[in-house]
Amino acid sequence: MKGAAIAFAALVAIAAGAMALAGANPIDGFAALFRGGFGEPHVPYDDHRIAETLVQTTALLFPALAVAFAFRAGLFNIGAEGQLIVGGLAAGIVGARLAAPGFVIILATLAVGALGGGAWAAIAGVLRARFGGNEVIATLMLNIIAGLLANYLIVGPLHSPGVEGAETAVLPADAWLPTLLPGTRLTIALPIALALAVAMRWFFARSVLGYELRAAGDAPEAARRAGIDLGRVALVAMTVSGAIAGIGGATIVDGVLHRFNVALSPGYGFIAIAVALVGRLDPLRIVVAAFVFGILQSGSLTMEAAANVPKDVVTLVEGLAILALAAQQYVARRGAAAA
Amino acid sequence: MSDVENFVVLTLVKSAPLIFAALAGVICERAGILNIALEGALAAAAFGAVAATYATGSPLLGIVAGMLCGALVCGALGVAATRFGVDQIVAGTGLNVVAVAAAAFGVAVVWGAAGVSPEVPSLGNVGQTVLIVVALALALGVHLVLERTPFGLRLRACGENPRAVRSAGIDPRRMRVIATLIAGAIAGLGGVYLSLAELSLYSDGMTAGRGFIALAAVIFGRWTPLGACAAAIAFGALSALQFSLQRAGVPSELMQALPYLAALLALAGIAGRARAPAADGVPF
Repeated sequence: MKGAAIAFAALVAIAAGAMALAGANPIDGFAALFRGGFGEPHVPYDDHRIAETLVQTTALLFPALAVAFAFRAGLFNIGAEGQLIVGGLAAGIVGARLAAPGFVIILATLAVGALGGGAWAAIAGVLRARFGGNEVIATLMLNIIAGLLANYLIVGPLHSPGVEGAETAVLPADAWLPTLLPGTRLTIALPIALALAVAMRWFFARSVLGYELRAAGDAPEAARRAGIDLGRVALVAMTVSGAIAGIGGATIVDGVLHRFNVALSPGYGFIAIAVALVGRLDPLRIVVAAFVFGILQSGSLTMEAAANVPKDVVTLVEGLAILALAAQQYVARRGAAAA
Repeated sequence: MSDVENFVVLTLVKSAPLIFAALAGVICERAGILNIALEGALAAAAFGAVAATYATGSPLLGIVAGMLCGALVCGALGVAATRFGVDQIVAGTGLNVVAVAAAAFGVAVVWGAAGVSPEVPSLGNVGQTVLIVVALALALGVHLVLERTPFGLRLRACGENPRAVRSAGIDPRRMRVIATLIAGAIAGLGGVYLSLAELSLYSDGMTAGRGFIALAAVIFGRWTPLGACAAAIAFGALSALQFSLQRAGVPSELMQALPYLAALLALAGIAGRARAPAADGVPF
């Protein structure tokens, strides 16, 4: 805990230094960041800001759970970004074209989102399982191919008539995810993500398959000798991981943008790696971590506007958090081993 | 110039930054560090080169600054992976985020504008030609150093069997950090090329995934400097062809995706079994 506190203090200090470098008063900067994340203190019904923070929390929670799912099985899925895009792409294409009652469209888009993201990640899973190909390289490549594929399909063969720019037509209004707070973009995607986190915790703690995945992640050689098929684990873990990220992409399409746009993710899939690490790969801690990062994401815009601090400061600190937390966990482990 | 000459020249122009980055990737991986932070190193170097040129008026100092920025990013990966026990992939991902955000922040702070720097004195056509020659010469140089010198042997041993290296009285962690520093400086030249030779400014996103194409070139070139250089030239030829093929109706996205698709095929063992160094990406 002490190490984590030091890491946190160092990150705050770096953020303050960066704000000062940008010519802003760090106190104003942090105040604007939290005002942006939580709402104005003197405005009685400022639900809007906290809702926007929860929208960002949700958008990060799906890919973070996806990353953690694969990590627990010993697989580096750094392709959540691409899986999220393909899931969103599938949801946007189906959602904008399917003529059906709203709830049918919603279910269909979530299903094809999961299928799209899962299939995209399965490519890396197959390469790993069949050929021993490095899943890190594969998912990195698939991220970029996903963006190019989406751009090609949306601007090219699947272009919606009358739509400008790289996006699909707008989904019918009855197929938008129901909102939790009227007048905000906060939808039932949040409880869906929370339910997923609980289910994932149960899966790893109680189910046989979850046990096999964990065993393969913690001690692959021992798991193999115990009769666990590591190739199957790689395929299952990558596919499920991609499906989770894909559902996340679909909820952004259904609930936030109401269409697919090639720029639907400002790097959620990468920040999700930080979220998963901060949450130490535990689904319930990841929920808390996603909320903290959600505050940062939604607060950074207010910070830029009100305190004149470039919002890149937040991204910078998020990237440093990945390094600091991984190092701190190592130091803590080594300390425990020495004691 | 004839069409063929044009094509050759354009291929070299497009290949040079990929060659620098791919050589950096080879050096790191042969020493046992899987460096996915090359994209970040390119961005940091491209920015650093322009910032230093803007401050001093000298693009030559820009080159030095770019190489230092590249070495900083890759060296940070080496130190994090060997001294702080951070997983190489996690560290590389973090450094990519940090380097790209730091460059964007730098643009906002130094020039008070979002996304793009003002024009600075560039290296010009002569400088660009020199850098292309340097890239090709470096491929040969890295090959000779890795294959023919005791230093190269030690470096490769760190990527195959670091325990044996330690038994021989050499610190593999130190060797790995040295490898990342050298590789970073070379990758830095790739960033310098992008911002000071091909253009004369820095803009966000100008590296456009070249750090990842370089990783593909490393695999396709089977972890050898000359192979990776050849793969980088092949990928450069693809982007040189892009304009003509686009006019012939080939989707530009497909052309852009080809290097990444080629890497996936290489991972699947097409065109012969590719074998990474035994301790590539394995912590020590």
